[in-house]
Amino acid sequence: MAADVVLPAGPPATRSSKMGPRLLPKLGLVALRVLTPICSVLVLWYLAIWFSGLPAFVIPRPERVIEALWVDHAFIFGHLLATLQVAAIGFVWANVAGIGLAILFDLLPPTRHMLMPAAITLRNVPYIALISVLMLAFGDSILSKTAIVALAGFFPVLVNTLQGLRSADEVQLDRMRILNASWWQTFSQVRLPYALPSIVAAQEITGSGSIIVAIAAEWMISSTGLGYVINNAMQNYRGDKVYAVALLATALSFLIYSFVHWLGRRLDWRAGDPRR
Amino acid sequence: MAAPISIRGVSRRFGETWALKTVDLEIAAGEFVALVGPSGCGKTTLLRIVADLVEPSTGEVRIGSDRAAEARRKRLLGLVSQRPAVLPWKRAIDDVRFTQKIAGRVGFDPAKVLREFGLEGHEGKRARQLSGGMLQRVNIASAMAHDPSVLLMDEPFAALDEMKREEIGEWFDRELAVRPKTVLFVTHHIDEAVMLADRLLVFSPAPGRVLEVVSVPVPRPRDASFRQDPRFVAIAAHVRGLLMHKEAA
Repeated sequence: MAADVVLPAGPPATRSSKMGPRLLPKLGLVALRVLTPICSVLVLWYLAIWFSGLPAFVIPRPERVIEALWVDHAFIFGHLLATLQVAAIGFVWANVAGIGLAILFDLLPPTRHMLMPAAITLRNVPYIALISVLMLAFGDSILSKTAIVALAGFFPVLVNTLQGLRSADEVQLDRMRILNASWWQTFSQVRLPYALPSIVAAQEITGSGSIIVAIAAEWMISSTGLGYVINNAMQNYRGDKVYAVALLATALSFLIYSFVHWLGRRLDWRAGDPRR
Repeated sequence: MAAPISIRGVSRRFGETWALKTVDLEIAAGEFVALVGPSGCGKTTLLRIVADLVEPSTGEVRIGSDRAAEARRKRLLGLVSQRPAVLPWKRAIDDVRFTQKIAGRVGFDPAKVLREFGLEGHEGKRARQLSGGMLQRVNIASAMAHDPSVLLMDEPFAALDEMKREEIGEWFDRELAVRPKTVLFVTHHIDEAVMLADRLLVFSPAPGRVLEVVSVPVPRPRDASFRQDPRFVAIAAHVRGLLMHKEAA
């Protein structure tokens, strides 16, 4: 038999001794990637201050914002924990509902025709109306706020998971049918691994978005959390504090997005494919 | 253990269009039958009906004494597609074991068979690390891993170049001598069909009907020298003539 062409098996297991000299340019590149957007934002910020002529409580200087964050850190971080709790519980709910419904639709296809219109309708009801109804029903409780986060997040999870489950290769599905595999075997061994990249993509949206939605819910109905801090700061003309919270929320969303993205790359069976 | 296949009055209609019209065929246990014909003549539809992946509009298929659905439930069938069904996140050996796990039946030792299939040293590689020829061999090993009685092959070598195709075809024929199976083999390639099959079912353009059943009266496995044999040349020319005449008509 003639020799077959074999693609490389990936990077060697042992690290080269030349790692040291290679590490420095890599670190430099990472620093450049982090510093460039920070510097750009700072430049734009100062330009906005100088050219807009708006008062300091509308657009404070960056150093004033950092100072507010530092001075009020105990107060802000206390509320941050409340926001994180709302975002985390809502995120879990969104996933349980979104992935759960997608699995149900895969297991019992008629349920898709029964429940999908309701999911789409729910998705298109203005959030303000939903928040108002939930506030009337449950008041300023963790239930109302987490429900808002879950409602905002479940639809992208549902749609992406469904699309991912359907992206399974027909050839693989035929193989499972010919082997008379059970629904669970086909789901867990073929459909779910194929759906994983789509599910992770949904987490990137829902994970980082749940912080933003939690803050918005707190801003409207709560006496705790970063949303409340923003509300309180606005009433006291403390633009620096509003910006401090915004900075914190942005950093948190970015961190969550990056973590999910990193996790997704680890879980993605396509990672390392030279054809991608 | 190979099993006979009985196809009686099988037709299939998709909407108003007939893809296949009344096919009757008896295939003996261990026989290799190739289905040849132009694109869209219903070869793959017939294969999928035998695999119980498509319901026939009329007629029935039996594998041994079982209906096709029952044979599938008993895991008597193996399927090899043009695109390998090797799971991309599994190593070659794990993919072969996967078939055995799902089927609940260990047909053979995966490591031993991969060695026999010329894949020694590649057992731990994933699909993307294997060449087309190697991948198709893993695919065939996986399809045979639970020792099915019948192997259904839908243009399994179509993605390979001419040389690799001939090489893997000859290898596969030798493998069948070691592990006999009843084989239903869909191909566009007349020479490949004559080289491998005991009989060729030549289909007309859609709706697919069997134009002629052509026997290849030479024992298998056959080696490359058979391609120079006057019988090979004559049978291939006859089949080509049948198809060209029908297409021209």
